[in-house]
Amino acid sequence: MAELATKKPNLVIEQEEKVLSPWREGWQRFKKNKGALVGMVTILIFILIAVFAPLLAPYGVNDQSLANRNLPPSASHWFGTDDFGRDILSRIFFGARISLWVGFVSVLGSIIVGSLFGIIAGYYGRWIDGIISRIFDIMLAFPSILLAIAIVAVLGPSLQNALIAIAIINIPNFGRLIRSKVLSVKQEEYIMAAKAIGMKDSRILISHVLPNCITPIIIQGTMAIATAIIDAAALGFLGLGAQPPTPEWGKMLADSRQYIVQAPWTVIFPGVAIMLTVLGFNLLGDGLRDALDPKMRD
Amino acid sequence: MEKKASLLSIFLVLLLLLAACGGNNSNAGNANKNGEPKSGGQLIYARGSDSISLDPINVTDGESIRVTQNMFETLFQYDVNLELQPKLAESYRVSDDGLTWTLSLKQGVKFQDGTDFNADAVVFNFERWMDPENPYHTGGDFTYYPFLYGGFKGDPNHKIEYVKAVDENTVEIKLTEKIAPFISYLAIPMFGISSPDAIKKYGEDYGEHPVGTGPFKFDSWAKNDKITISKNEDYYGDKPYIDGIIFRVIPDNSARLTALQTGEVDLVDGMNPEDAGKLEGNQNFKIIDRPSFNFGIMAMNTEIAPFDNVKVRQAINMAINKQEIVDAFYSGYAEVAKNPLPPTLWGYNDDIEDYEYNPEEAKKLLAEAGYPDGFDTEIYTMSNARPYMPQPIKVAEAIQSDLKEIGINAKIQTFEWATYLEKASNGEHQLALFGWTGVMADPDNFLTPNLSAANAEKPANNYAFWKNEEFTSLLDQARVTFDQDERANLYKHAQEIFHEEAPWVPLAHTTPPIAMASYVEGFTAHPMEQDNFAKVYLNK
Repeated sequence: MAELATKKPNLVIEQEEKVLSPWREGWQRFKKNKGALVGMVTILIFILIAVFAPLLAPYGVNDQSLANRNLPPSASHWFGTDDFGRDILSRIFFGARISLWVGFVSVLGSIIVGSLFGIIAGYYGRWIDGIISRIFDIMLAFPSILLAIAIVAVLGPSLQNALIAIAIINIPNFGRLIRSKVLSVKQEEYIMAAKAIGMKDSRILISHVLPNCITPIIIQGTMAIATAIIDAAALGFLGLGAQPPTPEWGKMLADSRQYIVQAPWTVIFPGVAIMLTVLGFNLLGDGLRDALDPKMRD
Repeated sequence: MEKKASLLSIFLVLLLLLAACGGNNSNAGNANKNGEPKSGGQLIYARGSDSISLDPINVTDGESIRVTQNMFETLFQYDVNLELQPKLAESYRVSDDGLTWTLSLKQGVKFQDGTDFNADAVVFNFERWMDPENPYHTGGDFTYYPFLYGGFKGDPNHKIEYVKAVDENTVEIKLTEKIAPFISYLAIPMFGISSPDAIKKYGEDYGEHPVGTGPFKFDSWAKNDKITISKNEDYYGDKPYIDGIIFRVIPDNSARLTALQTGEVDLVDGMNPEDAGKLEGNQNFKIIDRPSFNFGIMAMNTEIAPFDNVKVRQAINMAINKQEIVDAFYSGYAEVAKNPLPPTLWGYNDDIEDYEYNPEEAKKLLAEAGYPDGFDTEIYTMSNARPYMPQPIKVAEAIQSDLKEIGINAKIQTFEWATYLEKASNGEHQLALFGWTGVMADPDNFLTPNLSAANAEKPANNYAFWKNEEFTSLLDQARVTFDQDERANLYKHAQEIFHEEAPWVPLAHTTPPIAMASYVEGFTAHPMEQDNFAKVYLNK
């Protein structure tokens, strides 16, 4: 009975905790998510592979040796050789560069252009919102890969054009995301207050609206990179993306498809590479959403 | 409850799978034992690209002829042993000066629309082919005619003076200069005889409504999908056993072979040679090799620099490792080529030594030509399998890599067949993969359409746009000489010039494997792809 009186009331204990920024809190939550960590590590590994490919690759990416076609994995060729006798391990490493580059750059492009349109549509509203939103709706009505194929068919098959096509098909996704964010923020009192004191629209957009959009962009962007890599591989597979002799993973799948029975490693390794990369980005995206979203509600 | 639902769904999925695997074409066939030909059934033939037209005079490619040679017949025809045989014509006579040919036609032959085949019909066809002013000279470029006859009526070098019907069954053709292989010309499938009534009826659209005298007649054409032809019940000769043939388009080589393995189609050509191993030992299928009578090559456009420089062309010949390409992508179904003639044809010059594979020498030659650092270029290739090149894109990639070794950076441009032919004949390419299956057992057919100066005028078939006077005049001389030994010498000399000037890189002569279900009997592979389907029957 006497001990009770010596205990500190709970209130005091709480006040002694540090108040972390929402970002730090998010990171704490993220760290606890095993899947998210696996995803992040996977992507980091691929990024390192991509950056250091010339140093890591045991052979040149285009070293043909027709006498050594379709060799199974061995000590001298860890992943075997493809139908032109090229080392598959080296081509996978250099292929990482291509896939990651296409993924990042196309999504970055989508974010920039999509956000621009989304902000204009959301903030200024009325007829300009109408036009932009209808264009987005039309684009979203098509299966995205078909739209990408159509764009590449017009521009001509090449890796650059595949990247452009993928960037274009993702614009509506970001555009609508940003637009909805802008619409919700627009109603807030502090925006009206800012307008009342004469703050310029551009300053309002930059200082108040954009910061609220960052989290959903990060989450959506990470997932978009995953689908962008698949789209690039799909276009490469169809012959509409990377052209020979570029070691793009999707193209490697297409080239090796006819050997799937007699030389399955030529198909397995590029396929697994695509799978791991996309899985990594998906896990990372999921983890980010779990970590950041509940706390950062807007 | 959950367990029941999952069991039910598994059951339904299995049911769906069974239904999907089921659907096989059931071809009715009369039960017949002792290996005697059975009647009935449709043969489904899968190939890599669609026909361009069904009007034989308006095509130059083997894929189109593959279909038309069942519906049309020529005046004479090469048999499987490459001997000339009478077909719609029974015999011929030539005048002493070699200029007037008199043909006696077969009697009692009708076109598939019931009209009579006779001398007037032959004259009508010739007039349509030779005269650009003729109202029925429509539907295409009639390209094969000027290849052989030096131009159209009214052109300065046109070789036919007149074609006339002497009586109902005799045709007289007067030439302006001698043509030794004239009867061979008449055997070329492009000169199948069409029904004048049908031509008059359809005009420009005749290419989609062909009417000939052959054992099969036209039914329907779903573009890029399939062409259906059926047995001609009124055929004057041996009627076909089968009810008809469906020519299906399956562009991808592996997919086409898979279609054979699943029973979707009965016969497949243009398979990846290395896939022949997949069917080995499998009793349900067999492979028949088509005797070699072709070449596969890469043409260099000599009208565009730097390919106008013979040293550059020779350097490229030395930079490409042909043996490796043949071993890798032809799987033993081909031999390396050095001449623009197949080795089995008379007149083939075996004394010529091919350029050896020597990248170092090639680099030196390139430097001598003024390109020590190489240059950028493009390789045009078709996307579909051809008998002389079943995997053109892979061959292009291998060549791309070989050229890279000597400093030439080549980008690969791939086109589907019809587009490819159009672009190449308009000279849009710098380097182009190409080939040729002969339609005459005569060097003239391999050399003149592809390498003579006259055929370098757009739309050209001479994809190197090579206008070598000496070479062309040798061909012209050989064409008017009736003595075969003399002609052989002229052609041998011509091959020497070809070798020196190197407008092409000759790659391979192939024996294309043709895969079919084992119930397909009676198929004999004709070296010129003129397979006689009237003798084929389905033993099932």
